[in-house]
Amino acid sequence: MAMQTATAGRKARWALLDIIVVAYALVPVLWIASLSFKSKETLADGNFFPREWTLDNYRDIFAMGEFVRPLINSIGISLIATLIAVVLGMMAAYAIARLDFPGKKLLVGVSLLIAMFPQISLVTPLFNIERELGLFDTWPGLILPYITFALPLAIYTLSSFFREIPWELEKAAKMDGATPAQAFRKVIAPLAAPGVFTTAILVFILCWNDFLFAISLTSTEASRTVPAALSFFTGASQFEDPTGTISAAAVVITIPIILFVLFFQRRIVAGLTSGAVKG
Amino acid sequence: MAEIVLDKVTKRYPDGALAVSEMNIEIADGEFIILVGPSGCGKSTALNMIAGLEDISGGELRIDGERANEKSPKDRDIAMVFQSYALYPHMSVRENMAFPLRLAKVDDATVKSKVEEAAKILDLTQHLDRRPSNLSGGQRQRVAMGRAIVRSPNAFLMDEPLSNLDAKLRGQMRTSVSKLQKQLGTTTVYVTHDQTEAMTLGDRVVVLRGGHVQQIGSPQFLYDQPANLFVAGFIGSPSMNFVPATLEGGALKSALGEVPLTDRIRTLVESSGAGREVVAGIRPEHFEDVALVDEQHRARGATFSSTVDVLESMGAEKYAYFSLESELAQTEELAEIAADAGSADVPGSGTTIVTRLDAASTAKEGETLQVWFDPDRIQLFDPKSGRNLTFED
Repeated sequence: MAMQTATAGRKARWALLDIIVVAYALVPVLWIASLSFKSKETLADGNFFPREWTLDNYRDIFAMGEFVRPLINSIGISLIATLIAVVLGMMAAYAIARLDFPGKKLLVGVSLLIAMFPQISLVTPLFNIERELGLFDTWPGLILPYITFALPLAIYTLSSFFREIPWELEKAAKMDGATPAQAFRKVIAPLAAPGVFTTAILVFILCWNDFLFAISLTSTEASRTVPAALSFFTGASQFEDPTGTISAAAVVITIPIILFVLFFQRRIVAGLTSGAVKG
Repeated sequence: MAEIVLDKVTKRYPDGALAVSEMNIEIADGEFIILVGPSGCGKSTALNMIAGLEDISGGELRIDGERANEKSPKDRDIAMVFQSYALYPHMSVRENMAFPLRLAKVDDATVKSKVEEAAKILDLTQHLDRRPSNLSGGQRQRVAMGRAIVRSPNAFLMDEPLSNLDAKLRGQMRTSVSKLQKQLGTTTVYVTHDQTEAMTLGDRVVVLRGGHVQQIGSPQFLYDQPANLFVAGFIGSPSMNFVPATLEGGALKSALGEVPLTDRIRTLVESSGAGREVVAGIRPEHFEDVALVDEQHRARGATFSSTVDVLESMGAEKYAYFSLESELAQTEELAEIAADAGSADVPGSGTTIVTRLDAASTAKEGETLQVWFDPDRIQLFDPKSGRNLTFED
């Protein structure tokens, strides 16, 4: 009996702690969500639950060009940057995990260096370079720096996944009559899939959430992404408070990330390589 | 079906290390050949070179009379079973076994029938739709074999396929590998460090050490007529006893006492031009408890007596260990062999002798025992080169 009470007490303590942590993390998010459903009159009333539910804010942002176009930019730029970074990262990570080539340590070191580099110090040079090259305020103008900063992340996560794949599987595939390309496609790639999806999620989030480059390297809606566009939101008139619409937009831009994670999470099956070799 | 010839095949790594040096082996069609040796002897490297997974630095590899040095693994049509099995974890057993056929673009019906046939041979039929992760070690091993046999390749290469199994299963699998090879009649090269597997499985055994072929022959021949100290020490379990000795006036003086040479041995030793100092080798089973040897034999043989250090009773036989004071220093060769065979003795000045006695022996630990041995079974080796001085062609 004493034991049972002890466990019950432990459970209660843990539950309480968990609730506090979850609340701490979620309250700001829920507050934003709550604001987005409030009407303009009740916006500043301080209630957690809106007294008047309304979808006006959502209707407004989708009616405005200044939200829809950046949303398209965000999705396009992030997806393209993710795709290129993951493909390049896969090749680099495979080489790092499998081959012994001169300058390998240097390559890993340099990519780590790039990841640690303060982005703010690059903004001015990038701004000038891109203006000279005509990349300023274009999609490639954002995709290129995103790839640069996503690559180290991609290489790091992918190479640790590749390292876990037993080398002998590739030898076995070769012995079974596969060309190097077939061995990669039919044996290595399926086993690396969880790593690829994990990396894709991380890189996508990195690009999606970027504000610094988005605000500095764009000037119009041709390439401005949502995080930057949010800061330009105004109300219908100059004197109108845009809090409601900003909240609604903030809620909307978290949805693609949630979808992205949910979609790929099903493919991240831990321990896929178990059973390949005697453990 | 193919014949494989290694003609002075050499593997030198970029850092200059020589893994395999001028290896000459002719493997006949359908033969089961074993490469055996201590770790680092180059046996796996040799196998990988036959497979095409490692480049050959020098010499020529011929498969069916055709130079194969530059062929990629897939063009050699050789199947390999890996020590770790290397099964594809994302495929079912059926897909694993079908993989080589799929790559060869075999039509579905043939794939199905071939996989099912192989599964039947290996008793895997009820496991075909399971994933490798849900199989036991022995089953995974059989799947790896199945993947090799399913496409009827020119040859099988096996890289210590049984070393990850427990002792009992290893014994069973050893028998089934042997049966399977006889049934299929496919040329097989099998790498192992276990001399028991080498003795029981192969038609012929190649003993390797430090990248050099020491001796090639049938297991029994290697056991009876080892070419040198290394082969003598490596083949056989427990291994042969070595005692430093001197040849003097037709007799052999050693820690085992003074033993007159038999006529057969004297002729062999004389024709081989042996020096005064030799290493005498005698196998554990050539000793016997004097009490159990009949008069007639006793007179013909020699005896020594010493205190039994350790007595191990195996049921059917008893192993008695003695340590003998030896006046002569151990040769470097002997020390290396002991290290290679993983039985480096506890440091001491004496020589340890292992004897295999009949279970009826009344030997007891700590008591003196008189032991008989047959002087005609002694083999003599050159202490410097390790050459067998009593080798009969």
